[in-house]
Amino acid sequence: MDVTPTQGIDFTRLTLRDGLDLAISIEEEARDRYQDFAEQLTLHHTVDAANFFARMARVEEIHRSRLAERRQALFPGEISSAIRAKVFDVEAPEFDQVRVFMSVEQALKTALAAEEKAYDFFARAIPQLQNAEVRALFTELRDEEVEHQALVKQEMARTSGEPSANAEAYGDDPVAQ
Amino acid sequence: MELQAKPVQPQTPAALQPKDYKSDLKPIWCPGCGDFGVLQALYRALSAIGRQPHEIAFISGIGCSSRIPGYTTAYGFNSVHGRALPIAQGVKLASPELLVVVAGGDGDGFSIGGGHVAHAIRRNIDLTYLVMDNQVYGLTKGQLSPTAPKGLHTVTSPFGSLEEPINPLLYVLAYGAGFVAQATPADMPGMAALVEEALRYPGFAFVNIQSPCVTFGEEEQQLRAHKAKMKPLASLGHDSSNQLAALDLARAYGKELYTGVFYRNPAPPPTYDALVRLRQAELAKTRQPRERVLDAYLQK
Ligand SMILES: Cc1ncc(C[n+]2csc(CCOP(=O)(O)OP(=O)(O)O)c2C)c(N)n1
Ligand code: SF4
Repeated sequence: MDVTPTQGIDFTRLTLRDGLDLAISIEEEARDRYQDFAEQLTLHHTVDAANFFARMARVEEIHRSRLAERRQALFPGEISSAIRAKVFDVEAPEFDQVRVFMSVEQALKTALAAEEKAYDFFARAIPQLQNAEVRALFTELRDEEVEHQALVKQEMARTSGEPSANAEAYGDDPVAQ
Repeated sequence: MELQAKPVQPQTPAALQPKDYKSDLKPIWCPGCGDFGVLQALYRALSAIGRQPHEIAFISGIGCSSRIPGYTTAYGFNSVHGRALPIAQGVKLASPELLVVVAGGDGDGFSIGGGHVAHAIRRNIDLTYLVMDNQVYGLTKGQLSPTAPKGLHTVTSPFGSLEEPINPLLYVLAYGAGFVAQATPADMPGMAALVEEALRYPGFAFVNIQSPCVTFGEEEQQLRAHKAKMKPLASLGHDSSNQLAALDLARAYGKELYTGVFYRNPAPPPTYDALVRLRQAELAKTRQPRERVLDAYLQK
């Protein structure tokens, strides 16, 4: 089943301000999801993957803040048109993509799949856009996703073969609930 | 006085963001647990409705899923195993202006707390009941739960269970719940929309959420299987105002994964909380001072 990641967004009517707001929301969602993953895995002794996701959260925050600065310069003080509640898993990995004791390699695969998903989102939206400025923005964002994929792949090559967390070391005893 | 509970009025959409409902407490669920998806959908549904956190109360029992109240900025009561519904009913009657949401597991709701479900439904108190159905007792490490499929091997059924599972959808429909739906985090926008619709329903609303337990759950209960299996009721042309059709579809629980609204009463009857307010207003006209009431007993 094809679940549309952004419910109710009519791409044909997006203005540049809407497009920037949507892009900011997408980066914000990705940042928050990576941050959540980092916290969950830290809590569950999966430190290496947690550190990688924390880094991803910082990267997404850089993307978000760059877009936010651009938006502020173009439309200072105008209220955001993006409804965060409507943005679902566009660049953010789905919530179930983490597991206790996952390896860095698995974490990298999760991030790569998320970057590919984001590329598809922008690629699918572009033909529907009517506004030339938004089309330029989305084309730029789509192309950036290719760069991000390349960075993740580089990291994959650098870390391949590194040992992953050891589940046996963290067995816990039952406790009364 | 109006008899019907008021549907929640949407406010300016951008007024409250999902993060405004997220508390500082970090969930301790296993990474990947379906309950994370439920929580995200819930934050979004709440922000779409736009009620302030202090106008909302989350009541739960005990279980992994029952931790939800702690993860929201609303009022919360993580109470006693199986007793979420009685407490929530009390909260709603005492503070009818609150949006009261009950959350918990299939064990909490249909094993130890099963007896309360029928009464909450027949009273039609304006509550939204979200059951995170993972077919297992998650918190206590994987025992057989009331919705576990027959034959399941668990620590408490090492040779396979001999019982048929409870069918939560049929159960609540049979008692006359006005809003009955099923969701899965395999379709996040769909789940958020269903939770929102349930929150807006004026009366007892039930959403059975197939929320995978990644640690003790079976392979066929995981998100990947849900994605392959789920069938939105809307795509089947189901008329959600048809209670008999809903009952018929609900019989497939455990075999088919239907998502969406099974039944929505097109003419919601007055809620118990509204009737209580009406009765209180009527009695207020002839209310005796407390000393007089006591005197009446003494004279007897
Ligand atoms: C009166 C009482 N009986 C038993 C327990 C032990 N207990 C805690 S949670 C639980 C069941 C949890 O399963 P469920 O309600 O389905 O929630 P989940 O953890 O799967 O989300 C049990 C039996 C308890 N805490 N209190
Ligand atoms: S035991 Fe199961 S239900 Fe509980 S937090 Fe872990 S995955 Fe979720």
